Amino acid sequence: MTETKTPSAGPADPSRRSAIATLAGAAAATSLPLWARYTHAQTAAPIRIGFQMHATGIGSAYGRWYDRTTQAAARLINEAGGINGRPVEIITEDDGTDPKRGAEVVEKFATQHNCDVGYGTLFSHVVMGSAPRAGELQLPYFVVSEGHHVASGKLNRWTVQPGITDVKSQVMAMAPFVAETLGKKVTMIFPDYAFGHDHRDFFTEAMAANGGEVIAKLAIPPTETSFTKYFPKIPRETEVIYHVMVGPAVLTFVKEMGEFFGPSRPAIFGFIDSLEAVDLASPGLEFLEGTYFWEGMARYAQPDQTEFDRHYRAAIGIDQNGASTRDPKDVSTYAHMFGCWETLYVIKAGMEAAGYAGPADRQKLIEAVEAMTEWPLSNEHPQGAKLFNGKTHQVFGPQYISKLEGGRLNVVQTTPIEAGFYPDEVDYTTRSF
Amino acid sequence: MRRLVLLLGLLPAPVHAHATEGGLVLLLPTDFYIGGGVAAVVLTILLVTVLPDRLATGIFRPLPLIRSRRLRPPLALALLSFALLAGLVVLGLLGAHNPMENPLSLAVWSLFWIVLVLVQGMAGDLWRWIDPWRGPVALVLRRRPARFRLPAALGHWPALASFAGFAAVLLAHPAPADPERLAAMVACYWAFHFALALAFGPKWLRRGEGITVLMGAYARIAPLGAARGRWRLGLPGWKVMARRAPPWGLAVFMVAMLAVGSYDGLNETFWWFGQLGWNPLEFPGRSLVVRENLAGLAAALVVLPALFAAAVAVGLMLAGEIARFGPAFRTFAPALLPIALGYHVAHYLPSILVEGQYMLAVANDPLDSGAHLLGIDHVHVTTSFFNTHETVRLIFLAQAGAIVIGHAIAIALSHALAVRLFGNPRKAALSQAPLAAFMVLYTLFGLWLLASPRGV
Repeated sequence: MTETKTPSAGPADPSRRSAIATLAGAAAATSLPLWARYTHAQTAAPIRIGFQMHATGIGSAYGRWYDRTTQAAARLINEAGGINGRPVEIITEDDGTDPKRGAEVVEKFATQHNCDVGYGTLFSHVVMGSAPRAGELQLPYFVVSEGHHVASGKLNRWTVQPGITDVKSQVMAMAPFVAETLGKKVTMIFPDYAFGHDHRDFFTEAMAANGGEVIAKLAIPPTETSFTKYFPKIPRETEVIYHVMVGPAVLTFVKEMGEFFGPSRPAIFGFIDSLEAVDLASPGLEFLEGTYFWEGMARYAQPDQTEFDRHYRAAIGIDQNGASTRDPKDVSTYAHMFGCWETLYVIKAGMEAAGYAGPADRQKLIEAVEAMTEWPLSNEHPQGAKLFNGKTHQVFGPQYISKLEGGRLNVVQTTPIEAGFYPDEVDYTTRSF
Repeated sequence: MRRLVLLLGLLPAPVHAHATEGGLVLLLPTDFYIGGGVAAVVLTILLVTVLPDRLATGIFRPLPLIRSRRLRPPLALALLSFALLAGLVVLGLLGAHNPMENPLSLAVWSLFWIVLVLVQGMAGDLWRWIDPWRGPVALVLRRRPARFRLPAALGHWPALASFAGFAAVLLAHPAPADPERLAAMVACYWAFHFALALAFGPKWLRRGEGITVLMGAYARIAPLGAARGRWRLGLPGWKVMARRAPPWGLAVFMVAMLAVGSYDGLNETFWWFGQLGWNPLEFPGRSLVVRENLAGLAAALVVLPALFAAAVAVGLMLAGEIARFGPAFRTFAPALLPIALGYHVAHYLPSILVEGQYMLAVANDPLDSGAHLLGIDHVHVTTSFFNTHETVRLIFLAQAGAIVIGHAIAIALSHALAVRLFGNPRKAALSQAPLAAFMVLYTLFGLWLLASPRGV
């Protein structure tokens, strides 16, 4: 029964939301004397974390792994005593990767499920659609989207991104490596919409700051499925190609680029987002051998693997190649999903710092998180040490640059946290709740 | 502002954002496969035209098996089926909010809409036994007979309206799998048709309720069935040959089944996104495209029957039999059923490979109580078969095969029906020429859909 859960007897799988058991629990609770019910709810009622999952829609592949990571972290938190002595219950709602439904889900968390916080949103347009509602309902909203929208000041005081770095920071941290190691003259190939434009703008600026130059920008229409006509536009003097193609045509893009250049090609740098959850041994990807990628977290266990990475993989059930231990071909979204894990631990730390007892303390929770500044590399933060900017509600951390060698990604550089710093664009702490 | 990357199309999007493994599909020699598929269909046309008509009709003669007795499906089973549906609706309201873990969402969109429809077309009329209205309707009507007579003039048209409503939810509702909303929709749909069945008697279910009519239509092309006192096994379509042409409403219903399946594939393609000016890499979500999807569905429901009617009419003109347009349309419409079923298989194969695993997990532990009813300790849902070249190729070929086989059977069936209708080989062949062209183009369309990059 949910009402009588104790941390030690917490659910093995926190997703096991047993509405039927809850009903039974409620029935049992009503048979208790009033004082007993009251004290009970104060001490052992679960902390309810509303998980806004992309279970269906275009985000569902990510959603499945965000879910697995979330369940694993929540299970460990419960096994270790929960939060403030109370077990954690994950209330999962599907938003269909749909901004309008996202706002509805946030509302359900606040009004129907009586959740303490909302959490876990990935796709940026869903974050943009949901965050205003979270603000209106005064529901702490912890997003895991790596979008720059939080730190840009577009959202509100209730929305925080403490578990994953934003794309601006990621792109900026890459520029020194590209300029110093790969070459100064860069041609960018990106899809012609907001996502690609962000890369274009952030990286162009960052390269200039590092003594390099973006000499050509090839914007590819999003519906394009053949790219041969674009490659001749790459200037001859190009030393580095920076690509961030996404969508079903990305494998075709790589194959055609390989055919175009043959053995003599410039250095190539990309974001693993293009190939997240894709087996790098897929046909057509041979051409990427020897090219470089940004990774949020190293998919393949490295020779200097930390005990924390080992712990994290074991808890979720991921092997040394970033795939499921139960199916080595089932490749995870390893570069991103650590954000769920780390965010849950930030929620835990925030609730503990705030002495969080219930929804009345939601504002205290946000203030407690805003007051946090750093988290060390640990089981709670296996991706790396973090610095948190309470004003911008955005976390900063290391980035990984990996080289594809023999079908696996080997980390060649870990960028320092500071490489991703940029001037604050907002101070949420001055905004009202 | 950064929009997060989508590995759109490379990875499956279960339930209604149907699974796609488009990235690897784009690398397959799909032009070659499409050419082969279309060639197979053209060859079928040549064969049925050249071969003697005896053969064309002969292949639809079933093999007699054991004697059959006309069994009335037991009332208890029908009541049990109703109770099960009611239980599922309760679980929709109280169970997991995640549609991939909720028994109702999986039962409706995976078990019923994918598996049961397939069983109905591949095995036989299972729906007659488990239809959830029949039991309660029979119980009530025993005490209080139906008060009204269903006007014969209505034909099967109410069922077409009902099916269009179902299709609108499938294709345009922002959250068709959301357990709570689905519970409400299922309950309302059931209650609506229950009330009308009480008013008009069980006939309403056979002529007014879309799902029962759809299931009955698919059962017509199942290889197994009882006829003239025996169980018989034959080429899909033998039952169509053995029955009279359906009435108008039902014939149009059959064309509508293909229209819905076709739009369901078309609305995911980059091409469709391009027509509407959406970026497929940044799909705004179903909420924002409800109107477009409804318009697309409505257009499909008008355009395909019109095209089919035109093909029938031109064929009749060639054969000098235009006066028989009505009977001919009604006769040939069931020949589209194998194509609709082929589309169904092709379209939902990737989805069911994923959703089947979720169904297994829920069957193992339907009440989310930690049970292991199937003795499985942990169901690990994997989608790795969308990640490897070989498995994606196999899936694609299975899908393409379903489409090609569906068309080949449809062509043979249509020709056999023409022979039956005209009793004259030359007229039959002439009447079929435009329909054959229609089916070749439809094969091309179906295979193109499979090979196209998709955005949802």
